[in-house]
Amino acid sequence: MEKKYINLREILIGIMFMLLLAFVGARAVQVQIYDGPWLSKKASNQYEKSFTNNGRRGTIYDRNFREMAVSIEVTSIAAYPMQITDANATAEALAKALKMKAKYVLQKLKTDKKFVWIKRQSTPKETAAVKDLQLDGIDFIPECNRFYPNTTLAAQALGFTGLDGEGLEGIEFFYNRYLKAEENNYTVFKDALGNGFKAEPDTVTLNRGNNLVLTIDSNIQFITEAALQEAVNRYSARSGISIVMQPKTGAILALAHYPFFNPNAHTDFDKELWRNRIITDPFEPGSTMKIFSAAAAIESGTTTPNTIFYCENGAYRIGKNVVHDINRHGWLSLQQIIKFSSNIGAVKVGEKIGPKRLYQTFRNFGFGEKTGIDSPGETTGSLSYYKQWSNIDTGAISFGHGISVSALQLICAVSAIANDGVLMKPYIVQAITDHLGKPLKTFKPQKVRKAISTQTAIRVKNMMKTVITKGGTGVNAALDGYSVSGKTGTSRKIDDNGTYSTKKHTASFVGFTPSENPEIAILVIIDEPQTEFYGGIVAAPIFKQIAQDTLNYLGIPPQRINNKLRVARDSETRG
Amino acid sequence: MNDRQYNAHTGGYDVQLLFPVLFLVGIGVVMVYSASSALALKKFGSDYFFLKKQAVFAIMGIVVLVICRHLPYRLYRQLSYPLLLLALVFLIAVLIPQFGVSAGGAARWLRIGRFTLQPSELARIALVIYLAYSLEKKGDQLKDFSVGFLPHVFILIIFSSLIFKQPDFGSVVILGTLTWLMLFIGGARIRHLVATIVALLPIGIYLVMSAEYRWKRLLGFLDPWQYPSDEGYQIIHSLMAFGTGGIWGAGIGKGYQKLFYLPEPHTDFIFSVIGEELGLIGILIIIGLYAWILMRGIQIAKSTEDAFGSLLAVGLTIAMGLQVVVNMCVALGLLPTKGLTLPFLSYGGTSLVLNMASIGILMNISTTRRA
Repeated sequence: MEKKYINLREILIGIMFMLLLAFVGARAVQVQIYDGPWLSKKASNQYEKSFTNNGRRGTIYDRNFREMAVSIEVTSIAAYPMQITDANATAEALAKALKMKAKYVLQKLKTDKKFVWIKRQSTPKETAAVKDLQLDGIDFIPECNRFYPNTTLAAQALGFTGLDGEGLEGIEFFYNRYLKAEENNYTVFKDALGNGFKAEPDTVTLNRGNNLVLTIDSNIQFITEAALQEAVNRYSARSGISIVMQPKTGAILALAHYPFFNPNAHTDFDKELWRNRIITDPFEPGSTMKIFSAAAAIESGTTTPNTIFYCENGAYRIGKNVVHDINRHGWLSLQQIIKFSSNIGAVKVGEKIGPKRLYQTFRNFGFGEKTGIDSPGETTGSLSYYKQWSNIDTGAISFGHGISVSALQLICAVSAIANDGVLMKPYIVQAITDHLGKPLKTFKPQKVRKAISTQTAIRVKNMMKTVITKGGTGVNAALDGYSVSGKTGTSRKIDDNGTYSTKKHTASFVGFTPSENPEIAILVIIDEPQTEFYGGIVAAPIFKQIAQDTLNYLGIPPQRINNKLRVARDSETRG
Repeated sequence: MNDRQYNAHTGGYDVQLLFPVLFLVGIGVVMVYSASSALALKKFGSDYFFLKKQAVFAIMGIVVLVICRHLPYRLYRQLSYPLLLLALVFLIAVLIPQFGVSAGGAARWLRIGRFTLQPSELARIALVIYLAYSLEKKGDQLKDFSVGFLPHVFILIIFSSLIFKQPDFGSVVILGTLTWLMLFIGGARIRHLVATIVALLPIGIYLVMSAEYRWKRLLGFLDPWQYPSDEGYQIIHSLMAFGTGGIWGAGIGKGYQKLFYLPEPHTDFIFSVIGEELGLIGILIIIGLYAWILMRGIQIAKSTEDAFGSLLAVGLTIAMGLQVVVNMCVALGLLPTKGLTLPFLSYGGTSLVLNMASIGILMNISTTRRA
């Protein structure tokens, strides 16, 4: 073999290598320049994970800055299924650590998704157990969990949030945009094992939402709820609601519902219990409406508390219908009609002043319109226009039938009487503060309108005082050392077939104390009490208990002992 | 060729080899660190684990290069059979579980004391030396099938079947191609060479089809995006690395694919890590450096009067060149995945030291060629 042939072939080999390297270089150009953007995007899809951090929701305080709802940081466990090599083993290990079903976990891991939640808001113990497993493709995402430290207290008023931290009910829903922290979108870079690099999630600052300061006083709320719970159980009632309000400001001190539910585990409770029924549910008020009929009569100028009406000895026919009184009365003054809660008397009052005036007065007291309270789902109740009323309608509406109102409307209207005729807008949040506690917005009491004249208000107030005196329907509401103005209510509920039930009643009592300078107005409604059903028997004692404890808690001194308004409570009257 | 002429040319080092090689080794040490730090930290608790070892290998490589530079290359004529025997012993030993070290389902390393050695790397050099020796010795007899062709193929088959058992299909292909090219240069009949290819084709197809992992790798190679989580995984992530790097690269240490996405980022896929971190610019520089080394190797072979020296030079160049081209093609998705390292850049002691030895030998040939 001659060397020159070897040389020639060696040159050929050299050329071959140069061509191959040129080819490799050309391929590199193709991949890095032409396919570069596409490949780069594919790559970043794999190692970049975008997260939305909901931040930390603001705290809800009661009026004494006691925490009602707080957000606490928790960890959620997530997985990147693509990065898990042995899904079966991982699923089993996770299931064991989290006490979940392995099959369920495996199903989650076997999806095409890049990211799945394994367990939202796991307990610290669970998180530690999973961390100890050192599994590939498992991640720990910091989140915030809503916690209600007082469990059931004021639950229907507060509402609750969903897993994503959005308010779903109550104040949580209504003030969601204030409570909610600004969303924080951030990208985390993950290696193939799911470990973060660059920006770790826990180095991301949590935005914080604003705080709310409620008008609710958790002590009064507790007093109210305790009294309500006891009464509902004592009378085997279906449910009960109660409101405590400052008549002069419209600030709500307590909004109580029974049965309770625990917002920390709201899904364990019947959905029907979640609602703030005081605001959302209309009911037929019954006799408590007579005070507004009386107010309309006095305001009309044609009637005084001493104007007498003939009460037909217990039965009064209007067309085909007959209105009954429980006790037969002959002639009664307007004041007595209220005191004894005469239905026929109220009908006569309505007939005297006519539907237009009745309607207008009711409207002035806020019936048939929303109060505008800062809570969701408010009902207007139903108050049809007076021109559509028949004679029996006018009569029935005069004593609170054929009309529906919300409990909130009723307490607001009664508060207007207590407040010299000025209707106040009810409110539940008195301030919004930033996360440092600096006030951003404060809510002052708002006057809606003057519903009736001051003089009329005082006259009605005094008539309402007689309800609590001997022979009145509300003697059980009488307090030691404080004067009370109030009114009982007993209404039959409408059955499923559309007629008034003989068994299902709503017992109520509404009033305020002290009468001369009202500090608190209280409404108590007991739904379907079983053993007794009169408002004066079922609801009035609850009013008494709540009022007594609240006045005591608020440190409002009792009136002088020789005050005439102290009453003997030697008889129970019905009405 | 005589002793006087050796001595006359033992002065300097061939700068045209020394510069690109040291440059590549330097880049290699840096890139091995960049590529392996995350892996090392997770596996060994220190991100310097592979860096330290690679630095030691580099120093060992330089020492070996210096030694080989000064060892008269004609010495290898006498060493060709002993080396062949040594390689054979190692190749057999690696298959014995007590000596072999497995990784990723293949027994490719031999444990000797504290070190592990990759016998297939040694086998390649031994084969080159043997072929250069044998081709020179047989001269014109190469045209004869049984004398000039068969013995070389016989040695190849023994080596190949042993390496195949590891299994290391990539090295087999390299050895086969290397032998074929050397026979071509040495002057074997084209007829025989072409016939070999025709005969080998069905065997190759059978071998690919017979092992499931090879078949899957082929599928993954042909359509990687179809099998993104298994067969195509490596290719996809390698391509993503190149794509992310773009023209200028993400910067040293700033690549993402090495973070457990890319398997073997510091050995088989170091080229991809370079592609991501140093960009197309880095890739073209690396290719240029290899081209320089290969051209220089060919030039040394061409200008060496001594047939053994010439064949040895071209053989070493081919062995290195094949390794380079195949590794790059795999990284760029042009060839199915093989467990082959990139000379001077990939982590691995045997590969680095023996490639440096090859350069040392080439330098020695270079200094004596104009005799």
